[in-house]
Amino acid sequence: MKRKESTGTIVVNKKPLRKRLYNYRWLYLMFLPVFIFEIVFHYAPMFGVGYAFTDYKIVNDATFVGFKNFIRMFKMANFWQAFWNTLQISILKLLLTTLAAVLVSLLLNELRSLRFKKLTQTIIYLPHFLSWVVVASIFAMLLAPTQEGLLNSLLTSLGIVERGSEIYFLGRQDLWRPVFYLINIWKETGWQTIIFLATLSSIDPGLYEAASIDGANRFQRVWNITVPALMNTIVIVIILNLAKVMNLFEPVYVLQNDAVIKQSEVIQTYIFNQTFNSGGIPNYGYTTAVGLFNSLISCFLVLVCNALSKKVRGRGIV
Amino acid sequence: MTKKIKIFDVILVILFIVMCFIIIIPIWKILVDSVDLKTAYGMRLFPQRFGWDGYRSVFTNPTLYRPLMISFLTTIAGTFCGLTLSTLGGYVLIQKDMPGKNLMSGFLLFTMIFNGGMIPTFLVLRAIGLTNTLAVVILLPAISVYNLVLMRNFFEGIPESLFEAAEIDGASPMKIFFTIVLPLSKAALASIGLFYAVSYWNDYTNYRLYIQKSSLYNFQMKLRNIMQGSDLPQSLGSATENTVKSACIIIALLPFMILYPFLQKYFVKGVNIGAVKE
Repeated sequence: MKRKESTGTIVVNKKPLRKRLYNYRWLYLMFLPVFIFEIVFHYAPMFGVGYAFTDYKIVNDATFVGFKNFIRMFKMANFWQAFWNTLQISILKLLLTTLAAVLVSLLLNELRSLRFKKLTQTIIYLPHFLSWVVVASIFAMLLAPTQEGLLNSLLTSLGIVERGSEIYFLGRQDLWRPVFYLINIWKETGWQTIIFLATLSSIDPGLYEAASIDGANRFQRVWNITVPALMNTIVIVIILNLAKVMNLFEPVYVLQNDAVIKQSEVIQTYIFNQTFNSGGIPNYGYTTAVGLFNSLISCFLVLVCNALSKKVRGRGIV
Repeated sequence: MTKKIKIFDVILVILFIVMCFIIIIPIWKILVDSVDLKTAYGMRLFPQRFGWDGYRSVFTNPTLYRPLMISFLTTIAGTFCGLTLSTLGGYVLIQKDMPGKNLMSGFLLFTMIFNGGMIPTFLVLRAIGLTNTLAVVILLPAISVYNLVLMRNFFEGIPESLFEAAEIDGASPMKIFFTIVLPLSKAALASIGLFYAVSYWNDYTNYRLYIQKSSLYNFQMKLRNIMQGSDLPQSLGSATENTVKSACIIIALLPFMILYPFLQKYFVKGVNIGAVKE
């Protein structure tokens, strides 16, 4: 991370502090905009977490109430539901997309034709650039519970679904999560392969030659050379993403609806819906408390993942 | 043995063709529906009665082209702000003996560890009068410590000897930035600029949180409302509700779909200078 000090050149470090300050005077000015943006958009809100200890609705001034909001939060069944949902959905989503990406990368790596490989990559990266609103809109149309929807009309023509009893894929409690995972896999698998393909291309081809001479077949070569080489990257990818599991918001928010709120509500959507969609007066104090709890868990996860990352690859994630 | 390998190769190619179809068909289907004036789309993968009425309904409707303009404007302005901040910050972070450098980098990285959360951010921005202005959706996403670190990673790849040579010649850090670092970073500027542009174009959450005035909605917000049925524009000619919806989806995804094949290498490069760079 730090630049290596090279020997034999002028030793700038020895210069007195005043001279160094003067030398870098313009850089401080360069840093100023970054500093201001950070203060306004990241640091000021941190002080806003104080609202968690107040009773603050739109109609009254914030009054200090101590831990009342937290006590209320821990008693709320909806809160705990959202909390466990967050962990389950985020982690399973992470594992499934990573697994899919690893499999696709291994198979892509076996393709003989370079041009076909390039074309495939171009196509499978594509959904990553669609916004979640667009993805939700596309699948709302295709999975519509009418004969207009592609999937229902396909299932009808195959005789699996009867006309008039079309399946509402995004509105059924038992189907929402599987559909959510599949949509995530559709959107992100391709993009995630980039990292794995970069690792694969750095494997020494001599290893494969040596294995062939030893009589290893294609499958054995993949299993004994390619897979172990990927292991480190897989662990890193999982660690990096584990740090973000509490942040899940937009994908869930645009795909959820009232019929599946129990299955889909995660902490961030809970905070949002409680504040802005509940119909009543927003209780900022309470939702800030939920947010603070979430930030603390998130912070803990980042630190754990940072430590893990240092252990696995010798440098942290922050 | 050679025959076995050949069979496997054929299966592999078929598998990938199927995979590509699974990726393409959802998008293709919406594209087809957006230009098909015969209703009851069902499983049709090609239009039966081709016509542009869906798009005509969108482009002749001021409540729809205004959000489109806002999307373009915020994407351009935001990408510019974002690139400025991440290059400035990234450059400061690679200085080796700038007094206070560690303090500054700690100041930045701390925000990757802890954040105030959704509601305090909303309350603070509302208190300083940034909600319901386009400034918030342009400026807030511009400061991304993640992109700043990407930029720093890229700058670190510039050969040390170039900096040393310039220092011996008496160039100030500022001069080094403009004459050496920026010209050598075109690829990184392209990659990170594209990441910014995509996230601005696709931004929905920030609008949902900070913008209540419908005259300031971007196209993603508008599309979302249309899909929810609250804000459906009048359909012209033979276009039905679903034709217009499909046309809106296509317009929302079109800019990057057109640019993407040409820019793919920059996107991929951006990922590889990123977090997993060893």
